[in-house]
Amino acid sequence: MSTVDFLNLLVSALLLAGVYAAMSVGMTVIYGVMKIVNLAHAGFLMLGAYFVYELYTRFHVDPLLGVLLAFPVFYCIGVALYWLMVRRLPRSDTPTLSSLLLLFGLWLVIQNLGYLVWGNADRSILTSRTFATIQIGPIIFPTVRLVVFGAAVVSLGALEFVLHKTWFGRAVRALMQNTDAGRIVGVNVDRTARVSFGVGIAFAGVAGGLLAMMYSFTPDFGGAFLLRSFVIIVLGGLESFSGVAVGAVILALVETFSILFIPSGYQSAVSFSLLVVALVVMPSGLAGLWNRRQRLT
Amino acid sequence: MEQAATVNVSGVANSRWSSPVVRSAALEIVCVTAVALLPLAKLGHNGVRLAFVTLVWVTASLGWNLIGGFAGQVSFGFAVFYGLGAYTTAIVYSQGGLNRFVAILAGALVAMAASFLIGLPTFRLKGPYFAIATIGVSETTRVVMTNLEITGGASGYRMVERGAFNQLVHFYVALTIAAMAVAVTIWIRHSKLGLALLAIREDQEAASDLGVNPFRCKLLAHAVGAALTGAAGGAFVGYAAFIYPQGVFGFDISVAILLMPIIGGVGTVWGPVVGAVVYGLVNEELFASFPQLHLLLYGSLLIIIILFEPGGVLGMVDRVVRLFRRRSSIASHS
Repeated sequence: MSTVDFLNLLVSALLLAGVYAAMSVGMTVIYGVMKIVNLAHAGFLMLGAYFVYELYTRFHVDPLLGVLLAFPVFYCIGVALYWLMVRRLPRSDTPTLSSLLLLFGLWLVIQNLGYLVWGNADRSILTSRTFATIQIGPIIFPTVRLVVFGAAVVSLGALEFVLHKTWFGRAVRALMQNTDAGRIVGVNVDRTARVSFGVGIAFAGVAGGLLAMMYSFTPDFGGAFLLRSFVIIVLGGLESFSGVAVGAVILALVETFSILFIPSGYQSAVSFSLLVVALVVMPSGLAGLWNRRQRLT
Repeated sequence: MEQAATVNVSGVANSRWSSPVVRSAALEIVCVTAVALLPLAKLGHNGVRLAFVTLVWVTASLGWNLIGGFAGQVSFGFAVFYGLGAYTTAIVYSQGGLNRFVAILAGALVAMAASFLIGLPTFRLKGPYFAIATIGVSETTRVVMTNLEITGGASGYRMVERGAFNQLVHFYVALTIAAMAVAVTIWIRHSKLGLALLAIREDQEAASDLGVNPFRCKLLAHAVGAALTGAAGGAFVGYAAFIYPQGVFGFDISVAILLMPIIGGVGTVWGPVVGAVVYGLVNEELFASFPQLHLLLYGSLLIIIILFEPGGVLGMVDRVVRLFRRRSSIASHS
């Protein structure tokens, strides 16, 4: 493999990592605040993809604008679902049987409603950007990936700003560290959980829209990405935002370079093996390793 | 659920063969005898087939319940054990030329071995890791089995039947395995292991403070559950004679296996049995006519049960009985 090939792969892996981070961050927000594993995440990724698709084919809304519109729409869906179902779950500091099963049921419902509405034909969003490339020196950037990467980074930056500079963000981080202590210092747990659930779902919708610009999709679209999101947040230690970024980069690198050695039919096996390795070698994720080192010094 | 646990604790304290065990065992004997006599009732070919499929579901449902119900560890990947059991049984029976029960035992053992691969890395950790890993495991197994040459890959595997096909043989094989599954469940529920599992479900840290080893208990329950589900798959393949990865490793099999105990009453001995019977009959008669809708209906059912009646059918019956008792006691007081 020549240096140019290597650089091309490296760049495409890093561009992919941006979307992967945006895709997984919603799960981290929801898990961190409520200790609920959002299994319905896959369903919302799929809905996000079809949302952008429908806006584009019916009203000729640019997919980027569609992604922007997806945020408030999916936020409202998330808040509504929280009010309808999620708040009725028993509170716990570990994921419960009922929360896992409820969100799993929700995933099944969303996915199969998708089949009812859109059938199982492959759809894709084709714009003038889709096949365009930009060449910088010897490295070729597919335009759509650059755009998607940019959008993902902007949305992650916005989230980072909110988390560190606003009252809501501080409340979220407080609840992630300790729910009871958060309540003592005056955090409204129910309200914060509601908003966090909305934000988590909104990020799923946005990420789904971004992924739809790059890949073709069916109502089963989210399933493969659900497993990837799991791998990323486990690598990141489940509750760490910087961990998500690092986890996304690792998964993207492993996936991209494993294509050289492993047949593409086994792609889901690759991410799963990474999950198992992560669980065995560093159960508390990269953030755990980092914390341990900090504590030692 | 907590009430059930306390009732049982007092039951065990009385004597080794306390009344709940005897009652469950008696109920099992009655049920097994009744089901064994079913073919006499002129059910016809289709009726016996339905009863056979339901017995297979009962076994798998009880297997899931051991780890999902008793220990509270949700698995979304029990189709792995079902499929491995089916494939192993088919291969051992056709190519090894062994007895049917030996082949099914081999299937159960392979499923059990696979359960350790999932359990060893995940059960040591507290948190959602096990549930997450089971989703990955079922995806990965299906992909690998689809690409594997020796099992025929995506085109499937045909089991070679020796002698003439007799439907009743398969029916009684499935009944034997289901009866064993119920017996194992009753035994575990009333043993020290069962109490340890319930304690882990309620509060893992408190349980380990009291001397329970959560890792070992979960691993054991998962292994037994996997073996039962593998045996269910083995019983099924004898009847079906042809299996393919999308069928036995399918996502809908995993969903079905976890749905049945939830319908009947998760974490109880008889809930999974009731759930499997309800599921078996309803699935066959109703959902089969809407193949696109069945996962949608399962999902809705799951949401409704979790939100409104987490105890399932048994929980509902319990609630109704208590309501009537309260009514009658109020009536007698006034």
